[in-house]
Amino acid sequence: MFFTPFGAALFETGGNRVSVQASFQENKRFHLDVKAALITAIVAFLLVFNVFPMAYLVFRSFFGENGFTLETFKRIYTYPLNWNALRNTLVTAGLSMVFGVMIAFPLAWLVGRTDMYGRKFFRTLFVMTYMVPPYVGAMAWLRLLNPRVGTLNVFLANLFGLSENPLNIYSIGGLVWVLTTFYYPYAFITISRAMEKMDPSLEEASKISGASPLKTVMTVTFPVMLPSIVAAGLLVFVSAASCYGIPSIIGAPGQIDTVTTRIIDYVYVGSAEGLTDATTLAVSLMLIANLVLYVSTFICGKKQYITVSGKSTRPNIMELGRWRLPVTLLVTAFALIVVVIPFATVAMASFTTNLGKPLSASNFTTRYWHILFTRKGILDTVKNSLLSASIAATAGIAISCVMAWLLTRTQAKGRRIPDFLITVGSGTPSVVIALALIMTMSGRFGINIYNTLTIMIVAYMVKYLLMGMRTVVSAMSQIHPSLEEASLISGAEWQRSFWDVTLPLIAPSVVAGWFLIFMPSFYELTMSTLLYSTDTKTIGYELFTYQTYHSQQTASAIATGILGMVVIVNWILNKLTKGEFSI
Amino acid sequence: MSSITLTDVTKSYGSTQVIQKFSSVFQDREFVTLLGPSGCGKTTMLRMIAGFEKPTTGEIKIDDTVVSGEGRFVPPNRRGIGMVFQSYAVWPHMNVFDNVAYPLKIQRVPRDEIRQRVEAILEAVHLSQYVERMPNELSGGQQQRVALGRALVCNPRVLLLDEPLSNLDAKLRESMRFEIKDVQKRFGITVVYVTHDQTEAMAMSDRVIVFNKGAVQQMGSPMNIYRHPANQFVADFVGKINFLRGTASEGRIDFPGGPRAPSQRGQGMAYDGEKRGPVVVAVRPENMTMRADRGVLHGTLSQAYYLGDTNDCRVDMDGISLRVIAAGNTYGQVESGAPVWLDFNEYLVFDDDGEDQTRILS
Repeated sequence: MFFTPFGAALFETGGNRVSVQASFQENKRFHLDVKAALITAIVAFLLVFNVFPMAYLVFRSFFGENGFTLETFKRIYTYPLNWNALRNTLVTAGLSMVFGVMIAFPLAWLVGRTDMYGRKFFRTLFVMTYMVPPYVGAMAWLRLLNPRVGTLNVFLANLFGLSENPLNIYSIGGLVWVLTTFYYPYAFITISRAMEKMDPSLEEASKISGASPLKTVMTVTFPVMLPSIVAAGLLVFVSAASCYGIPSIIGAPGQIDTVTTRIIDYVYVGSAEGLTDATTLAVSLMLIANLVLYVSTFICGKKQYITVSGKSTRPNIMELGRWRLPVTLLVTAFALIVVVIPFATVAMASFTTNLGKPLSASNFTTRYWHILFTRKGILDTVKNSLLSASIAATAGIAISCVMAWLLTRTQAKGRRIPDFLITVGSGTPSVVIALALIMTMSGRFGINIYNTLTIMIVAYMVKYLLMGMRTVVSAMSQIHPSLEEASLISGAEWQRSFWDVTLPLIAPSVVAGWFLIFMPSFYELTMSTLLYSTDTKTIGYELFTYQTYHSQQTASAIATGILGMVVIVNWILNKLTKGEFSI
Repeated sequence: MSSITLTDVTKSYGSTQVIQKFSSVFQDREFVTLLGPSGCGKTTMLRMIAGFEKPTTGEIKIDDTVVSGEGRFVPPNRRGIGMVFQSYAVWPHMNVFDNVAYPLKIQRVPRDEIRQRVEAILEAVHLSQYVERMPNELSGGQQQRVALGRALVCNPRVLLLDEPLSNLDAKLRESMRFEIKDVQKRFGITVVYVTHDQTEAMAMSDRVIVFNKGAVQQMGSPMNIYRHPANQFVADFVGKINFLRGTASEGRIDFPGGPRAPSQRGQGMAYDGEKRGPVVVAVRPENMTMRADRGVLHGTLSQAYYLGDTNDCRVDMDGISLRVIAAGNTYGQVESGAPVWLDFNEYLVFDDDGEDQTRILS
């Protein structure tokens, strides 16, 4: 089971399950007050650290000293560099969306609905890519498709006897390629989930009516899935448009700016005007993202007819017949190019002395791994990241549990408000969240947490809380209320019945939810880049500086370490929950 | 002694009233069934007795203790009630023993005694050989028995069952019916049973309460409900029945029938009741006699299904299709498409108030 930032939110709209009237608690005012107090506390947190900073950002970009003005927007976009950045963002995100869906739909179908060999393995592989930080992909493709020395480039040139290398990663095409290969898993996960939930009898009805398998896919499966496919595409669009890691690593050398890189450049300028310009760009990005989020959740979400049944059904599996082997080979090739080769490249780079030469016995070193485990600077950032990600995950999962209880077990008024705010927060681009926090949490409004780990923790929570919440809410809503009622009627107080019945049943999801907040927080780059101080550098930022300025091998060693961690966490979750959960 | 006394109980969600004023006393050791279509309020009623819902007004007493009423509310965990849920609600993370032992653990019963009592109960519900099994290794019927065992292990004063058999297959449902009834007799407990299946209600209950749209339609013994339904809803819901619209006058009911020449007089039958004017005659399929040669009303046999002991027929009477369950030996005596004669041996006459027109044929 897995959840995407707001892809999962879409599924929730279909699941209008009958909520239990917890009215046996109604007679005690105490309980009502607990609910109200919990909602108030969560809303207060979100108001201070989510709503207010964003609102301030919007306010500041539209209101100058003389009231409402579009001056800053006008100034920003008369500057061709910014105009180009906006265009690049829209073009690359748009193309990644199209290619991402074009890859994800057939893959999801092959993995979920056919008897292709190794379905389970491929599924795990593609889903796992989702948890890998995108900048790792950028690092890999940089090495593979560097216009002069890219391994793959050289290989292709030799293969076809070309006089010069055919591909250049430092281009719009290169950017689209890396964005696509790193964001298609978002679409894959969303579409797979929808496919799993689709009632197989819909397809059976089509077949019994005489339609061929292909005809069934085209006339039933695809149209029924369309809202999910659109939602998946929009998710890829927003993620790609909000991405900083990939364009900063690939775009910078090729002088391809995107909105995110421009924002961070402006912040680094540091002047008041720089901040205003950054704000204005951020607001543009935020408006795009929120508009897409709105369309996706409230327009597509309403049309998700497939999720109405809500129960997971056993999908019917199509036999590929003589196509079984060729299709499997095709998918294997895809997995090799998109997953195995890039990750292997990064891993190999971490053992290479001279990056200009291929890895060989004489060119082999463990020096960079030694650095990774001994250099104090790196270890400190690991410590910072571990600490802030753990706190964010723990606080986040606590809020998630409370929200799950409020949403599935009570009729408390206003329980949808925090739910809504959390959804919007997660849909907001990281760079916008970070900028908004900088602008409002540096003492100007009585709170000064700038340059502390706290501001990072807050940022991680705003961005990643939704993942934890969806996991726990979904687990909780799958526990039939009568299981708890059976415990009450057996004589247990509600606390006891929570402890004996509810908790053991949701525990795997709570653990999974914790990791879903922890992992992306741990290797986070974008927000950390804006929020770090000398004492609070994070591993993501450290990796980025090594990659860009010092030593690509050290960066590769760090990246490989993170990859290993993703794999291990995934494995632990799988074992812990008997295969029910993986990231 | 465990009686349940409900006084003027109502339930509303916001402005929608789901239970209209209800009062009754369920006697000690009585098997009371709340019967009605889905959404009629029967489950809400049961959940109010359990304490999962709070009545909007009114009072509920178990024996002499007020468990729900003016300023008093005993939560479900302090009511000493056993309950079997429609979904069984067998905890998936506990084995059979732990599921059944749970209520005793809550009561801090000593370990040895728990073992004894659980074993005794598992024996009673025929699960002795499954003690260590996890719920997902059990069939639906076995899970049902675990739920029943768990509900009984504490010797509850009252046992509530919420459509406990609706998820079982037909055969199992029938045998579980007897098992539940048997358990009730052996343990001597008061049972409130909710179902939408009238056969279940008929087979098990001492008393049936028929609900529709939140209001009680009729209360009585199964035979009473079946033979003397209070209104057309009950007549229709409990058992099979044909409705015919007619006009009652002194000594006679006339059926205007389907399209026919205005000069032609409709069919009719003798009537010695009090009703006059438009009426609805309700007759059960088995309460008619079908003959080839003589009778009061005539029609055409349109279909006949030989079921061995009976002959399940459709008789077309002036454009109205009546279901008739005739004696088995009538099969073959009358050909499909041939004219037949019908006598109504036992029937009911309701005023035709234009309401409850379910399947009224006119």
